[in-house]
Amino acid sequence: MRLPDYYEFCCRVKIVAGHDALEKIPALLGALHAARPMIITDRGVAGAGLLDVVVGALQDGIVIGAVADEVPSDSDFKVVRRLAKVYQQKDCDAIVAVGGGSVMDTAKGVNILVSEGGDDLMAFTGAGALKKRLKPLVAVPTTAGTGSEVTLVAVIADHEKNLKIPFTSYFLLPDIAVIDSRMTLTLPDVITSQTAMDALCHAVEAYTCLAKNPVSDACALEAISLIAGNLLKVMKTPADRDGRLALATAATLAGMAFSNSMVGMVHTLGHSVGAVCQVPHGTCMAVLLPYGLEYNMHKNGEEAGELLFALAGDAVFARTPRDRRAKQTVASIRALNQDLYEVTGGRHPRCLGEVTGPDGKIRVPRARLPEIARVALGDASIFYNPEALDEDDLLMVLEAAWEGIPLDPARIRKG
Amino acid sequence: MNDFREITPGGRPFTRMYLNVMLWFVGRAVQAAARQDLEVKREFEALPHRFTFALTAAPDGPSMVVGKDETGRVKYLGRRPGDYPLHVRLTLKSMEALFLLFTFRESTATATARDRLYVEGGLPEACAVVRILDIVQVYLLPKPVAKLAIKRYPRWRLKRHTWDRAMVNLRAVIGY
Repeated sequence: MRLPDYYEFCCRVKIVAGHDALEKIPALLGALHAARPMIITDRGVAGAGLLDVVVGALQDGIVIGAVADEVPSDSDFKVVRRLAKVYQQKDCDAIVAVGGGSVMDTAKGVNILVSEGGDDLMAFTGAGALKKRLKPLVAVPTTAGTGSEVTLVAVIADHEKNLKIPFTSYFLLPDIAVIDSRMTLTLPDVITSQTAMDALCHAVEAYTCLAKNPVSDACALEAISLIAGNLLKVMKTPADRDGRLALATAATLAGMAFSNSMVGMVHTLGHSVGAVCQVPHGTCMAVLLPYGLEYNMHKNGEEAGELLFALAGDAVFARTPRDRRAKQTVASIRALNQDLYEVTGGRHPRCLGEVTGPDGKIRVPRARLPEIARVALGDASIFYNPEALDEDDLLMVLEAAWEGIPLDPARIRKG
Repeated sequence: MNDFREITPGGRPFTRMYLNVMLWFVGRAVQAAARQDLEVKREFEALPHRFTFALTAAPDGPSMVVGKDETGRVKYLGRRPGDYPLHVRLTLKSMEALFLLFTFRESTATATARDRLYVEGGLPEACAVVRILDIVQVYLLPKPVAKLAIKRYPRWRLKRHTWDRAMVNLRAVIGY
């Protein structure tokens, strides 16, 4: 393991995990001197019955000041302002966010306004804009992928100006992340595979990109091991509570890793495929992850090879010669994608050309790859990728990922 | 009370002077490259009207400001970021971090990865600024040094490596 000459790591989120972790929330809020939380969630979570589970776990121990289940799939300034008013009118003193990335981002935005006052979120963008601790925030993730329960970022859209505004501050870290297996027990199979591959990608990129450090490495390796050991098991037995808890824990660990070590070109390309063609983030991650490793292998092959132990187990690691481990890591991820493809009846795509929408049409037309490559040049994660990428490199990777063929090593320009 | 020594920040006059000179020259080289190099020109054209960015060291270290004027012409605007509305601000957390960068012991990417550099403003625009600075470094530095400062040394045509390089350096010196 290469030790950086300097690194920073911060995760001041208390993690509470288990099959009945939700029931601890009233006592945890009490310890933060809060007694009247507002629950923020979305209709999907409410419709799946998960809100009822949370309310049932909380209501015996605490008064729930308000329940807002109207968070859209893309968090929004207007919604944040409206929910902040509800919080104040209902005299709440904490927030419990139940959902995925959009709900978490919305809850963080609401927390900024109710803690700092006013309704101008833009006043709190930029480094150092938040200067004091916010109201207690409890994050209850309902997918096992994003890791946003332990991240310090919120991205909120200003739809009037057609902008996505990032907010970054250690004060945006939730106080408590509650990981409860009941929250992911009913996730559909494709969502389970996509979100787990998202978490795997967070961990792999955290371990192999430029900002890696020993603390995030430890989180990343454990996350990879948990996903490799439990994903297929859960896909075949969705009601496996232990397996679900393991995947949710892996997502949190991967979140801790990547929020400190950042991510590289898989996210650079994945964000852009998602933005241009509206492909779910986890799908992009699953397809592109082997390509990110192949592209950077001349720079970080040692680290990629080390991942084989966590991914494939000690026997495979031991019998694979050291100089072939990085390639075997890539092969293991491709094999996992193939297994997921089979277990979902072909709904987990193996290449961009296989990604289809609800209407069955191809979601990523090949003709749009140049546009995706151009958009990717503006993604900040490109800074953290070990090898340089220009538009031609990005297009070359996208072409291979579209067809589902390995990268031609001769076409990778080495810096 | 005289037993308790008070230490005030500041000092390092030579480091500060070196960085001021380097930033002055790099700022003028960005201006020169925007006129001489097609790729830099295209990058600036894609940036917003009157786009202005600063590279600076916190808390009050040396700085440079570069921006487009009303007509889209790129100009080195001096060393006071507070005088301009900035679209992008690249801040090194200390003068020492900026010194690492400008003594080419650390690349922009490594500075970012080591939490020594942070960005305020639009991220796509910040990415464009970093690409521009990388090109300018290739123009200003000999290949072995430039390879330390950027991730991958580019394969340029001979004219770009020779004539354009000479012109960028000359224009930076005379400020045109």
